[in-house]
Amino acid sequence: MPKYPRLQSLKAINRVMERYYVKRKLMARLKPMAYVTSGAPVEILETMGVLTLYPENYGALCGARRDAVRLCEVAEEDGYSQDLCSYARSHIGAVKQPDGAPLNGLPKPDLLLCCNNICGTVLKWYEVLADHYSVPLFVLDVPFQREPQSEPHAVQYVTDQLEALIAWTEEVTGRRWKPKKFREVLALSNETVSLWGEIRDLGMHKPSPVNAPDLFVAMAPIVALRGTRQAVQVYKGFKAELKARVADGVAAVPGERYRLLWDNIAIWYRLYRFFRPFMDAGACFVTDSYTNAWSAAEPVDLDDPLTSMARTLLAVYINLDLETRAGIVADLAQRFAVDGMVMHANWSCKPFSLTQSDIQAAVREQMTLPTLMLEADMCDSRRYNNGAIRERIAAFLEMLG
Amino acid sequence: MHYAGVDVGAITAKAALLDDNELVASAVIAAGYNRVEAAREVLAQALQQVGLAREDIARLVATGYGRVQVPNADRTVTEITCHGRGSHWLCPDVRTVIDIGGQDSKGIAVNGVGKVVDFVMNDKCAAGTGRFLEVMAHALEEDLARFAELSLSAQRRVAISSTCTVFAESEVVTHIAAGAPKAAIIAGIHEAIAARVASMVSHIPVREVVMLTGGVARNGGVARMLEERLERTILVLPEAQITGAIGAALFARDG
Ligand code: SF4
Repeated sequence: MPKYPRLQSLKAINRVMERYYVKRKLMARLKPMAYVTSGAPVEILETMGVLTLYPENYGALCGARRDAVRLCEVAEEDGYSQDLCSYARSHIGAVKQPDGAPLNGLPKPDLLLCCNNICGTVLKWYEVLADHYSVPLFVLDVPFQREPQSEPHAVQYVTDQLEALIAWTEEVTGRRWKPKKFREVLALSNETVSLWGEIRDLGMHKPSPVNAPDLFVAMAPIVALRGTRQAVQVYKGFKAELKARVADGVAAVPGERYRLLWDNIAIWYRLYRFFRPFMDAGACFVTDSYTNAWSAAEPVDLDDPLTSMARTLLAVYINLDLETRAGIVADLAQRFAVDGMVMHANWSCKPFSLTQSDIQAAVREQMTLPTLMLEADMCDSRRYNNGAIRERIAAFLEMLG
Repeated sequence: MHYAGVDVGAITAKAALLDDNELVASAVIAAGYNRVEAAREVLAQALQQVGLAREDIARLVATGYGRVQVPNADRTVTEITCHGRGSHWLCPDVRTVIDIGGQDSKGIAVNGVGKVVDFVMNDKCAAGTGRFLEVMAHALEEDLARFAELSLSAQRRVAISSTCTVFAESEVVTHIAAGAPKAAIIAGIHEAIAARVASMVSHIPVREVVMLTGGVARNGGVARMLEERLERTILVLPEAQITGAIGAALFARDG
């Protein structure tokens, strides 16, 4: 079996995330704790010294540790449908039965912030949590965008809610809003986001120094630690390591023959194993639509932060219309000079997966790009049919050759 | 020089022998449980037809779900790629191959040199496969050959709307109980398969010439109803069932 060079920074990133979880376990009683959705304006809570946790990130962790199916079954026994997002099922399962779940479950929240710019699932999921823990819930309602440019009334609507969120957090936590601190947090957040973009762009090099599964591991801080020094620091290290690879001509997949684009969320329970047959055939996933979701944003304007944040919240990939999404995918395909595209039709995430066939068709209209659609699930491995997927991957690789 | 292609599928094993120019022999047998034995046997049968021995084969390429179980193969290639190659060799104008086998069905788009440019597969549900026909023929106590004939003679077709083989079978039972003519039920069954397959292949651009391959190609009823659905003529060659094996033999000949 061929050996693949390892990225040292990924270990550092994993350590940062371990500390992140340990710190939250230890500090839970000292500081207010909020659960937030992945598309939420975490910078506001960070400014107020509220600790944050991401049940979605925890769901991914359950998937990666292969605990998700067991936890999903706990939720299913409680009546949650198998068709419900497996992040939600894994987390709800761990709420019901924390013993033996990763980290023995998450520390309890004091407040909940749910932003529906990613899906409608989170609304119900957070209602369940609010009910279970009897804690206050703030729903930040972000309307779906039909145009590439956010409509002014939508921007205003979200901006008003951000103001309300600040007031609400003050009231719920008894902490004061500090505009100066907000600027600092936003500056760090901007820096993290731009570093993430630069990291991802290094995949444009031929050969690419980075493969999609590396990005899936590396993305945890951009989701969970945006606006903190740790995130900036660890990404500076990661970027330097990738740049050194580029300078030395080290490829993530030695002898890179094919450059591919990945669409949709990772398959957490087979993170590297899934990519192995591709790597063995010299195929590197040089870019993806998933981790791109955290780099596409423009920097937040420090002089008009709330309006600017509102724009960012509206422009989240899965809050956008089909044509805009297809444009984003086609643009990635072009900029990263890919030879093919693999789409993970992810049973869990309807807002991400529903548009895939049409995106596939739209991208094909613009360029000849061999594509492969694979049906699976990000955490629920019961939806992974190994034989069927293996056959398709083998045929796809022959098609590229 | 002779070259062999062996295609071990879910239900049958196929072998094709080529010399430098043409197809010289072929065989089809039931795959059974022992795939290794089936591969050996089907190749032996093909060799026997032309009085050759295993040593006379310069190279052997294996394909199909059971391809890794074919003894002494020089190489394995997926059936998708082999069907593309084989169909192009049989008819260079082919652009779309619809392969309906015992346990799966596929749509394959090929270019002017027989290279696969796109494909779709259904291996999740039996209702678009040969298995569906078998189950239904059994339920209606007809053999498969007559089953197809009856479907073509039907005056009308009942609608089978279930997308699952098991439920479709109970739907058929309901139609029988309601006194629907047998031919109409059988025609409805064929139409159901054609509908499933047509909807699957619509995910790849269906371009002419369209060729139907795989065991179900021998069933005239499915071919006819697919033509109706796709509004295109469908080419069915006598080699339909061994197209994948021919493709494999062509890869063997390439070296
Ligand atoms: S449905 Fe999709 S966007 Fe919503 S929580 Fe699940 S994975 Fe995230």
